[in-house]
Amino acid sequence: MEVNLIVESLKFLVLGMSTVFMFLVLMVVVLELQAKIILKYFPPKEVSVYNSTQELSQKDNFTVVAAIAASIQSYKKKSKQ
Amino acid sequence: MKKKIIGIMLFLGLMVIPSFLNASDVAKENLNQDYKSKSVSELFVSLYESTGINAMINPVEGLISHGIPVSTFNQGAGKVVMMAICFVLIYLAIAKGFEPLLLIPIAFGGFLANIPVADIAGPEGFLGILFNMGISSGLFPLMIFMGVGAMTDFGPLLANPKTALLGGAAQLGIFGTIVGAAILTEYTGFINFSLKDACAIGIIGGADGPTSIFVATRLAPDLLGAIAVAAYSYMALVPIIQPPIMKALTTKEERLIKMEQLREVSKLEKIIFPITVMILCILILPDATPLIGALAFGNLARESGVVKRLSDTMENALINIVTIFLGLSVGSKLAAEKFLVPETLGIIVLGLIAFSMGTAGGILMAKVMNKFSKHKVNPLIGSAGVSAVPMAARVSNKEGMKEDPTNMLLMHAMGPNVAGVIGSAVVAGVLLSIFK
Repeated sequence: MEVNLIVESLKFLVLGMSTVFMFLVLMVVVLELQAKIILKYFPPKEVSVYNSTQELSQKDNFTVVAAIAASIQSYKKKSKQ
Repeated sequence: MKKKIIGIMLFLGLMVIPSFLNASDVAKENLNQDYKSKSVSELFVSLYESTGINAMINPVEGLISHGIPVSTFNQGAGKVVMMAICFVLIYLAIAKGFEPLLLIPIAFGGFLANIPVADIAGPEGFLGILFNMGISSGLFPLMIFMGVGAMTDFGPLLANPKTALLGGAAQLGIFGTIVGAAILTEYTGFINFSLKDACAIGIIGGADGPTSIFVATRLAPDLLGAIAVAAYSYMALVPIIQPPIMKALTTKEERLIKMEQLREVSKLEKIIFPITVMILCILILPDATPLIGALAFGNLARESGVVKRLSDTMENALINIVTIFLGLSVGSKLAAEKFLVPETLGIIVLGLIAFSMGTAGGILMAKVMNKFSKHKVNPLIGSAGVSAVPMAARVSNKEGMKEDPTNMLLMHAMGPNVAGVIGSAVVAGVLLSIFK
């Protein structure tokens, strides 16, 4: 019997799209459930982002200042010699 | 004691020398047998006969290369045409910046494969060896997937899982193209695709190079060259192909929609995600597990944070090495006798259709979601459902910003974008399972 390619390919379309959607819908459901469970039982620790970055930048500033001061000192020493 | 040892050494030495002399005598005799004295003109003629010029100008009638008869056209002018195509690809990569990381190895591989006489793409040539090692076996695409997993942050998808459906809708292009290939075969005389070929061509619509190669090696190894080149070319052309379709299918109001900011995703969620996807895949579609498994492994290595060295290798060194090998060996399929056939033209046209349909599918799905969901969805992120990561998401972002420069869609578009990778891997699994 001659296989009608177009009919076969339409069957593939139905099979494929339904499988992909089934997989992704299942994934969406599972991921949402998972997110709920995780947020309920393992809530992420509160971190105040603002403060930590400020401290970090201050620290960075100090190191930069220290480096500049050191280089000025060494330059002065050299120029004295 | 020492004297004795020296004596023995001398004795051994004397024993060995005559045998060397004998050996060189034999070599001389052999040489004389193989080599006949030739005049200078004869020497030049035989050199000319071994040149590439001669091989191209005087093709051999009825030459058979690795089981495929090679026409005289493909021994001469065909090779020149293919080399010219390769140089166009190299030009596009260097001057226009179209996926240079892939196009340069592919184009140069194609250039090498079309060199006459040397047979670099044959089973004994180095391209042929690379091809058999990594592509015929389906190994390279999986290694690329590992690297993609190690590079990809699935956070945006986890923050708003519903956008995964857009990645599903964009797979419509794949199946639409399979129908298209079947129609071409039924109604045109000169193009003849089997169902397997049609499926391998359709997967170009997923805009996922490694998946296309993975499927093509299993279903239609003969068409691999054209499919790989079409898949990677269209991935490179995403910023050119998609915007007109996006504009045509959306209204200005829709393009102006602002989406809610995504929630933060905890580290634990990110670590569990690859394992969740694996479990789903094992239960529903084990045929897709090679691809999804490699992706999940790479992603777990990334998110776990305890194997930085491994994830770093996967997303940099390993993926780069594999890209070089993959590109060169895909290029080896650009040999004239395999590429200059009517089917190639069909594949390139169908690939474009596949790609456009995928884009349209994603956008239409996003419009539907916008109608029915509580939170607004900007239809522009639908086009990112084709899996060219992160190019497609960037295009969505850019189109959104054209309408409203403060509207940042990038993170929202990354959700469907990475879901598209999973979606096309699932489709690959479905197609492979059909022909088992």
